[in-house]
Amino acid sequence: MLSEYREVFLEELEEQLQLMDEEILKLEREEDSSRIVQALFRAAHTLKGSSAAMGFDIMKQLTHEMEQLLDLVRSGKRTVTGVLIDRLFQALDHLKLLKLDIVDGGGGAGIDISACVRQLQSFANGTEDAEAAETVELPEIEEITGYAETGAAKAKPVLALNYRLKASECLDQGRQVNWISVRISSSCPIKGARAFVIQSSLAELGEVLYTQPDLEDLEEQAEGATEILYLHAGDLGQEELKAFTLALMDVEAVLVEAVSFEEIELVQPSTVQTAAKTAGPDEGSVQTSGKAKSQTIRVSVERLEHLMNLVGELVIDQTRIHQVERTQRRRFSDDSVEELGHISDHLSRIIGDLQESVMKTRMLPIEQLFNRFPRMVRDLSRDLGKEIELVIEGKDTELDRTLIEEIADPLIHLIRNAVDHGIEDPGVRTANGKPAKGTLTIRAAHEDNQVVIYVEDDGAGIHAEKIRASAIAKGVISPEEASYLSEMESVDLIFSPGFSTAAVVSEVSGRGVGMDIVKSHIEKLNGLIEIHTTVGKGTTFKIKLPLTLAIIEGLLVKLAAQTFIIPMSNISEIVRVTREDIVTVRGQSVILLRNQVIPVAWIHEYFQLPKSSAAKQNISLVIVGSAEKRLALVVDELIGNQEIVIKSLGSYIGKVTGIAGGTILGDGSVALIMEIAGIIAKMGGKTVS
Amino acid sequence: MQASSQEQYIEFGIEQEQYAIRIQDIHEIIKIQEITAIPNVTDYVKGVINLRGRIVPVISLRCLFGSEEAEYTKSSRIVVIHHLEEAVGIIVDRVNKVTTFTDIQPPPERVGGVQGSFFTGIGLAESGLVGILRLDEVLLHE
Repeated sequence: MLSEYREVFLEELEEQLQLMDEEILKLEREEDSSRIVQALFRAAHTLKGSSAAMGFDIMKQLTHEMEQLLDLVRSGKRTVTGVLIDRLFQALDHLKLLKLDIVDGGGGAGIDISACVRQLQSFANGTEDAEAAETVELPEIEEITGYAETGAAKAKPVLALNYRLKASECLDQGRQVNWISVRISSSCPIKGARAFVIQSSLAELGEVLYTQPDLEDLEEQAEGATEILYLHAGDLGQEELKAFTLALMDVEAVLVEAVSFEEIELVQPSTVQTAAKTAGPDEGSVQTSGKAKSQTIRVSVERLEHLMNLVGELVIDQTRIHQVERTQRRRFSDDSVEELGHISDHLSRIIGDLQESVMKTRMLPIEQLFNRFPRMVRDLSRDLGKEIELVIEGKDTELDRTLIEEIADPLIHLIRNAVDHGIEDPGVRTANGKPAKGTLTIRAAHEDNQVVIYVEDDGAGIHAEKIRASAIAKGVISPEEASYLSEMESVDLIFSPGFSTAAVVSEVSGRGVGMDIVKSHIEKLNGLIEIHTTVGKGTTFKIKLPLTLAIIEGLLVKLAAQTFIIPMSNISEIVRVTREDIVTVRGQSVILLRNQVIPVAWIHEYFQLPKSSAAKQNISLVIVGSAEKRLALVVDELIGNQEIVIKSLGSYIGKVTGIAGGTILGDGSVALIMEIAGIIAKMGGKTVS
Repeated sequence: MQASSQEQYIEFGIEQEQYAIRIQDIHEIIKIQEITAIPNVTDYVKGVINLRGRIVPVISLRCLFGSEEAEYTKSSRIVVIHHLEEAVGIIVDRVNKVTTFTDIQPPPERVGGVQGSFFTGIGLAESGLVGILRLDEVLLHE
């Protein structure tokens, strides 16, 4: 049970932290600050309540301080300043650390928040208001001793019929039914949570039939000392009950009284009083309708994965049925074949829908990743003294959850690079006639069954010449090789391992590994990356990714007699050329396509198959790409495209370079799926001009 | 080795030699079917087959034991075994019978031109000597 609550808590935590992040950023831009402060206060308050209920005291303490501070701001006792925003961000960072610790199974004990808390307090204590509040608290504590007498006078609420029934039932069973009046100390920061804890402690000794006020309402009105009345049924005597309750944390005073018979009489007391009580059930119905708003259930990823596999099997069987139907049609022409055709068509539509639905269950909006960027860009630009406007578009673009996780690192690298190297210092920008504030646009969209993500800046652009010089200096390429490179190919050099364009290695980026890692990540996801850059105008990185990893759209091709599959996401185009179009430059077969030189590869050799296309006059070329590299594959025959389910070849065979896995075709045979990144690495590692 | 005398084995043959695998290691025995070759893997890995929707690798025992490859015949079979939670097919020339051994001897250094570590023992049967395969070694051979 507890772990279930923990999940819910972590989810809420994540949500609230995200919200705080956004709101603090907004606060910095000073849009309608009172509303924002209110929202932040609410978020801090919510977290305080839930972390206390979960027993994460350190987080509770920190959120409490935040809440106090925000309350002062809310009431106009403090103003929104840069220092305040920094303090809030600092506190938020600590909360994130605490969250990580909790995720790892800790309670946050290892995270030192004392400095952070001190700073929050010192900011809050800027005037005498806070001190005054402290002195006010003292006399209240002295009152404790007098409580027992005064408390006795407290009027008992009139019980609704169902509570009366329960209470008298308990009495009939020979149990003691008592009113327990508890005063929770005013120094307790979260009285609502404490009241719950007391209730559950009491429940261990019997049953809590009723509370006054309703504990659900308590949290909001928790100011000063709070008194709560529990109606408790149990076996303990009054004295024991009192001693037990007094020993609980934050309990200042306790009064135990036996319930009187009048109070639980089964006769309706008076119509007026019952009318007052009907508020209870009403509240309940409001709550349920609130819950109905978000109709979601939590499903483990494994289950979805299993479902996806089953759908994969169905897709395979469907293609087989379709194949059978076609062969039957060729042989016979009667009604039953006709009917088989209809069924097959219908089935494929349903399976198509099913597949899409199952895929959608794994899809998440990219928002949750994009939402991390505003804060990141803010911090980076502050550290680097740059002015940057971040524009995010297409937040609701959905893609497979595993893809979202995998694409996070490459995107962060690209954004860091854009902020660090791309966008110039404000002074440089104004000197070049650009607005001092640079613009960084991150955009996601669906394009032909793929996800495209753009990272676009209006910065300095990439100087091909500088890249070449730097690559030669670092020994990435030889001067001779460099002289053959086109502008575009030179720019692509930034993806080479061990390359960094920054003359000075800054703390932000430029460790010389960034782009290399970006490339390998994208390769791993079967994606493509392109750079478009104009010196002085800016740079755009375009990342293309498949929608999902388990079922892909593939192009079926024949090499010799064997069928292979090329993932559609790796294909940039298909062309038909004559033999003469393929020329040899420095020992490498290449083809010139719209002024781009692309190496041509006869993968037959690599796959140890007879090179049957060699004699043909017309040759089909499939231009494939992985990350930034392009290669033209010679294929003997183009069969068509098809949805395929990627199946691993198993750990016995293990990793084979150039083969991503296998799939089962409509005729029941196994076809191999090409791993384009591996083939390019083997066949056309170098870009040739 | 005595305890194993009641254990059942599937006996099969390659060329003139007889080999055996414990029956509980065997998933099923199927006829030769279309094998999709995989480029650039060890030569005795012949490729993969579709076993009712599963992709299963198949290896050639002939090739592993250093014999000449031969055309598959009507009696050729794929013995599908369970190994480390994965199915692997072994191509053999013929499957003879289910058998038990009255006596099992430790393997000599070499068994008819094949290294002894491929075997857990040599079973004595009426028809002659049968090499009992040590699957870990056969499948993980580098």
